[in-house]
Amino acid sequence: MNGRFFIIALHEGGRVREETWRLVSFARRCGVADPVMMVLSDEGAIEQLADELAHRTGLDVAGLAGSHLREYSAEAYIRTLVPFFRDAPEEAHIVTAHTSRGIDFAPQLSAGIDACCITAVEDVGQGTFIRSVHHGRFRAEVRADRPRVVLTVLPEAFAPDDVAPGNPGKVRIVPAGDISLSTCSRGARAPVHANMGLTRAEVIVSAGRGLGSGENIRLVTMLSSLFPKSALGATRAVCDQGWLDYSHQIGSTGNTVSPRLYLACGISGAIQHLAGMRDSGMIVAVNTDPCAAIFRVAHYGIVEDLTTFIPLLVDRYLRGE
Amino acid sequence: MKILVCIKEVYDSPETLVFDESAGRVTFGPHTVFRMNRYDEYALEEALRIRERLSSAVVDAISVGSPRVSRIIRRALEMGANHGIHVQTPGETCLSAFERAHLIASAARGRGYDLVLAGVMAEDDMESQVGPLLAAVLEYGCATGVIFEEISADGSRVAVEREVEGGSRECLTLALPCVLTIQSGINTPRYPALSHVLRARSSELECIEASGLAAPPPTQGLVRILPPAQGRQGEVIEGAAVEKADKLIRILREHSLLPR
Repeated sequence: MNGRFFIIALHEGGRVREETWRLVSFARRCGVADPVMMVLSDEGAIEQLADELAHRTGLDVAGLAGSHLREYSAEAYIRTLVPFFRDAPEEAHIVTAHTSRGIDFAPQLSAGIDACCITAVEDVGQGTFIRSVHHGRFRAEVRADRPRVVLTVLPEAFAPDDVAPGNPGKVRIVPAGDISLSTCSRGARAPVHANMGLTRAEVIVSAGRGLGSGENIRLVTMLSSLFPKSALGATRAVCDQGWLDYSHQIGSTGNTVSPRLYLACGISGAIQHLAGMRDSGMIVAVNTDPCAAIFRVAHYGIVEDLTTFIPLLVDRYLRGE
Repeated sequence: MKILVCIKEVYDSPETLVFDESAGRVTFGPHTVFRMNRYDEYALEEALRIRERLSSAVVDAISVGSPRVSRIIRRALEMGANHGIHVQTPGETCLSAFERAHLIASAARGRGYDLVLAGVMAEDDMESQVGPLLAAVLEYGCATGVIFEEISADGSRVAVEREVEGGSRECLTLALPCVLTIQSGINTPRYPALSHVLRARSSELECIEASGLAAPPPTQGLVRILPPAQGRQGEVIEGAAVEKADKLIRILREHSLLPR
């Protein structure tokens, strides 16, 4: 990779978020040993965040500070970062995580500095970037046609960088002025649909759109009843359809689970869903489509129609086969 | 209040796509059928609900693409949009989010939209970029992943909740005009009413040639389409359905996941 390489750290509650360490691994995967770590916050919190970054990574840190950065908003980030990068050397890669915040500010940042923006990057080619498309069935290799490139990187595609360096990097705090924003942040609300039953379950039987209809939810309920300490899970699409309520949702905007067994029924395996269950002990997938992305994370895969296979499976078990 | 909803045509099922690995291309197959991106249906429904709350609102729907795309714009009219705009490209085109955003911005500029809604992402490319890029080009504010919105009584601001990791919500208030990208589940999209279906049949779509709109050169190029990454070398359980069931039961028992 030519030019400078910047990593924009994500943080919450005064601590650096775990995805940030994965971005350091991504930089190494790009052949970059000395990316510049960047963090944005208000004067009260910036030094602690910058120090955490400098000590953990051993990399130099630029901390951009201003009272408008006390709470996150896309507008605050963009109006701070656009002037910063306009003054930086033109050839640059600016990287953040593909999370709800990263994807909130990255495209607008790219537009402000005439950069190319590539989202949900999961691998690197020969000067190119690779991302999943078409429900995870294929990948697209994309070439940037601008000297400046903004990337959001899928955190789960890279392990956290756990190098404990000898010397912390240098910290530079840059006042970003006090910008008056038209956006007003009003804080956060706790999850509406957190489900302790799901996080405690040893076995999760989970339903996807491939189930075909809300009526067929009774099939996963029936299957789930075979297992002690089991719970029902679902993809976002199933909850959106109203087949199960949102407390069952597993994925990036729902519950994150790692049961001993995850039985995925009619689930295609979109990245947002995989983010919530890929660390499960054993993953068994049943789907009619042999090319579904779920089969590439599954330990065992069965290509069958659920409406006939689940009753058969339950019947064989109850008969003691 | 003038509201613009950006809608995209997607294929109904990825199973109908045809992959030519040596050419690095994916094309639509003979059985591919097309429909509106599901996330955009939620955006359109939200716009229609805003119109029902505010008496004087107008909802326009816009889409970029081949002549076939006019079908989903008509579908938007059937759901209740007032006016449809088709930015027409010649034949099948694979446009990046950057190109789409600039074409929509060129068509929308000067029309005085107070609010622009789009789905949080497209089901096919999953780039999540058209909404925020459009906001940047139009110099509008933007919030992504919106799961709740409420426009102030004087129509100058909108309070929104963005859905973030784990289902938490970030609450913020934006000044209008702005762009909101809408998360699925914010509402339940309606089925078209017969009166709207009949009205849509006789409505003219506004057609704008994409070639006549100003757009900067693309920022990126598709090198090729690759097969998926290898992933876990899991075991595919083969045989007749009964054999598969018995084998799965045996595996689960061996791992003490099913009682004997």
